[in-house]
Amino acid sequence: MLGWLDANTATLLNGLALASVLFVIAVGLSLVFGTMDVLNLAHGAVSLVGAYVGVGLLGVQGSIGLFVAAVLLAAAIGLVLGTVLAAMTTSVTGHLRQALLTLGVALIVAELVTEVFGNDVQRVRAPIGLDGSVSVLGNPYPVYRLVMVAVGIVVAVGLYVVLERTRLGATVRATVADRDMVEAVGIRTTFVLGGVFAGGAALAAVGGLLAAPVLGAQPGLEDTILLLALVVVVIGGLGSLRGALLGAVLVGQVQVLGVALLPEIASFLLFGAMGLVLLLRPAGLLPAVGAK
Amino acid sequence: MSVRHATVKQLGRRAGLVPVAAALALVLASCGGSSVSGGGGGGGEDGGGATEGGGDVGPVKIGLLVPLSGVYAPLGEDMEQGFELYLEQNEGALGGAEVDLVTVDEGEGPDTGVPAATRLVTQEQVSAVVGIVNSATALGAKDTFVESKVPLVVANAGANDVTADASPYIWRSSFTNGGVAAALGAHVAEQVGDGSVYLISADYAAGAESTAGFRETFEAAGGTVAGEAATPFGTTTDWQPFLNGIRESGASAVYTFYAGAEAVGFVTQYNQFGLAGEIPLYGAGFLTEGGVLEAQGEAALGVQTSLHYSDTIDSDRNREFVEAYQAAYDEVPTVYAVQAYDAAAALDAAIETAGATDSESIAQALSEVGEIDSPRGPFTFDENHDPEQPYYLREVQESEGGFSNAVLSELDQ
Amino acid sequence: MSADVDSVVATSQSRRGRRPAPRVVLVAGVVLVLAALPLLLAAYPIGLAGRILAFGLLVVSVDLLTGVTGLPTLGQVAYFGTGAYTAGLVGIHLTSNAPVQLLLGTAAAMVVALVTGAVAVRTSGIVFLMVTLAIGELAHQAVDSIPAVGGSNGLAGIPPITVLPGGEPLLLTGFVYWWVLVVFLLGAGVAFAVAASPLGRSMRGVRDGEARLRALGQETYPTKLAAYVVAGAIAGAAGTAWVALARFVSPGDLAFDVSAFALLAVVLGGAGTLWGPVLGAAVVIGARDELATYVGGRGSLLLGVIFVLAVYLLPRGIAGVRRPARLRAGGSR
Repeated sequence: MLGWLDANTATLLNGLALASVLFVIAVGLSLVFGTMDVLNLAHGAVSLVGAYVGVGLLGVQGSIGLFVAAVLLAAAIGLVLGTVLAAMTTSVTGHLRQALLTLGVALIVAELVTEVFGNDVQRVRAPIGLDGSVSVLGNPYPVYRLVMVAVGIVVAVGLYVVLERTRLGATVRATVADRDMVEAVGIRTTFVLGGVFAGGAALAAVGGLLAAPVLGAQPGLEDTILLLALVVVVIGGLGSLRGALLGAVLVGQVQVLGVALLPEIASFLLFGAMGLVLLLRPAGLLPAVGAK
Repeated sequence: MSVRHATVKQLGRRAGLVPVAAALALVLASCGGSSVSGGGGGGGEDGGGATEGGGDVGPVKIGLLVPLSGVYAPLGEDMEQGFELYLEQNEGALGGAEVDLVTVDEGEGPDTGVPAATRLVTQEQVSAVVGIVNSATALGAKDTFVESKVPLVVANAGANDVTADASPYIWRSSFTNGGVAAALGAHVAEQVGDGSVYLISADYAAGAESTAGFRETFEAAGGTVAGEAATPFGTTTDWQPFLNGIRESGASAVYTFYAGAEAVGFVTQYNQFGLAGEIPLYGAGFLTEGGVLEAQGEAALGVQTSLHYSDTIDSDRNREFVEAYQAAYDEVPTVYAVQAYDAAAALDAAIETAGATDSESIAQALSEVGEIDSPRGPFTFDENHDPEQPYYLREVQESEGGFSNAVLSELDQ
Repeated sequence: MSADVDSVVATSQSRRGRRPAPRVVLVAGVVLVLAALPLLLAAYPIGLAGRILAFGLLVVSVDLLTGVTGLPTLGQVAYFGTGAYTAGLVGIHLTSNAPVQLLLGTAAAMVVALVTGAVAVRTSGIVFLMVTLAIGELAHQAVDSIPAVGGSNGLAGIPPITVLPGGEPLLLTGFVYWWVLVVFLLGAGVAFAVAASPLGRSMRGVRDGEARLRALGQETYPTKLAAYVVAGAIAGAAGTAWVALARFVSPGDLAFDVSAFALLAVVLGGAGTLWGPVLGAAVVIGARDELATYVGGRGSLLLGVIFVLAVYLLPRGIAGVRRPARLRAGGSR
């Protein structure tokens, strides 16, 4: 066991690094569905924009300060995109028409990004100071990936505190459970919902940026991210913070550890695992309390 | 530039987004035909205008089928530039026939590429087609060309099967996946001596053909394989587990086939996880070609690859070509640009030889073109209609303003 | 979890059989025009029309589940692909006879749909959507990794079809189009017949209130599975038609974007009407393959704009355009 752990530590850490960005990206998708009942298929495109913020600002390797500035810029753009999407979807009922709308937006956004940055594969570099390696159990391991894990943990804890320990969070949770009831006690859910949408999109953009030094930036990335995020949220349970976290960790390990241990069936693992989970637990592993 | 007719693409840009007008144009353009009588298909009859004993021929309608959208669009742009540069250097004519160039989008895969090929042959009635990046598209479109007897000069797609049955209508100015890899086998065997080599590639047809091609010449030269891995194609973002496998195998070198985003991911992680300094990395040239190398940057330093072109080839022909290309597009040419450039050269020679511009005459003349004076070095078409060409051992080195694939030597075959 | 996933669908109830005579005339007219197309159009546009019909039949099968039964699906590419690969393999190894390819392709798709559907229809709503997404993606990966069917290079070298035993191979696109049209009419006919049958009524019952039916003690599983198998068979038939035309099939034909566009074509056309989605399919294929040429390969931008505009301008899809409120009230004409 110890020997196995020694040999696979780096792999497990990689799985956690992937899980971290998946969580940051997917949590918005999950909460927007939980609160607004909107399946936002433009979510991957928002992450794509975040990744290209990295390309625009960090094409030449930047300092940590510049990287932080890029994170803030990505968050700001995400907020704007999220607000626009929230406004566009409010009058559109039915998941299928929402899908048509948001996928249409995704196609437009992705094409515009391509117009600006071209179709080439772009690499985003980790900032100076975080681009080296440290020794983990005797093997060199990239520092930046440890930073990804740390950021994932910080975001998870931060969201937990906001959602579980603040009045604002209580309102959001109540909206997931019963929107009409919240309206009835006189809270304007429109603002709550718009805020969740904008915040979720901001996180998606930041996640796309954080992932860029590992996943790169290229056309088509939005589909990959959208599919992974969808798998994360349905495995975990739509609308649930803890579910998104568990889903992200599972998907991260399936994608990295699973591929390493079972390379022959690697391509089938992700969707096989999802199918299995959904057939055994249709509402996901940790569904939101009170969700419909 | 001297191409007379605007391409369909350019027309569209001028007209802007007018789908209604476009739909109307389609209907009008297609009226008056019938798809159930023999004359409907088969390109080139109306482009004929052949005259006896040379003299003025043409014009000739040529189709350029390259990706303008999707992940292969950068390759498509290079190919378009290479082809157009050749036309520009030849007063917009091939074999004395003025060229009417029709460019259509191949897209990413056969779902868009095959209909686009059919469009060139049946709707545009071109005399010949140049292009196709994706191997599946080339395989899917092949029958269309053979049956309508329109020559296709494949200017990238490397699947061995494209030319396996040597149809008189299918030619290739690029490479075979196996051929590029095979060129490297003996050299690597010599370098590692008693050591062994680990093979890793993307798990799809091109990757399999490439590693098989390498293995054949490598083992024939006495090399031993330490291990082999095929990574899920298109979904692998993390190579660290496979890099562990390489480390544990005790291999003294690695041979690999990746292209595009995966080439960037693999090479940068190979560096990140500290293998770059320890185990030399060899690969098929696409690993470090064009925009991919820009993205890899210093992570690719020292990677050695085999390919039939590098902009640093030390010959007058190549220097002249690189200079002209840089003057026209302000960037160094890639292998993709050269492949399209040479496809134009092959058609130039064929139309010259045939003294005619109909598709049948061009196809026949392609077998008589002899040696093509390419920037990559002179080459001829072999019995399968693939190029019999020199391969170069290249190493990624720092150059002024970036990185380049410096030629170390020509590989013996 | 998401009881209202199909609320959009419920708004576009079919109004079958209200005015039988004009409907028959209309259908006959459309069929006549479709049949006459090869005489009017050259090879390339007729190939495009054929691709629209084949993709349109796939979309009809998606609508049968999504619009009629209320089960939104991203998995019909699995059965489309089964039909296509089966027909291609039969063509290469057995016979170029198109009816045989149609029968075997459809049967294979039915079997696969029965096996996978038996599990999938235990769910509904978004979960069903994701389970079918998994089925589609797994099928995609499967053909991609089997060298015997060409792997990622696809299955090439499929001979042209013959229709009669010992007949001439159909090389001209117009003749192949006629065969595709026959398959389309057969498949669409089955879809309409099923939708009008007692099974169709049960399917709409599942859509409009599965929970209520369950609460009343009615078993919905057999209805859902039957719908799934019929839809799978139709998708398989569409796949055989696709291959007859393209004479090539590759994993790309089973990719996520094909499923997504098929589902969006249903919504765009008007879910639940079966005929609206065929128009949606024509818009999608036309924009992606044809109009894209005129905007320099920016087909996806064009599609995106169409999708967004459609959501606001055509709340009930293309099929909803036909019945403005005042005409419906007037009743005549």
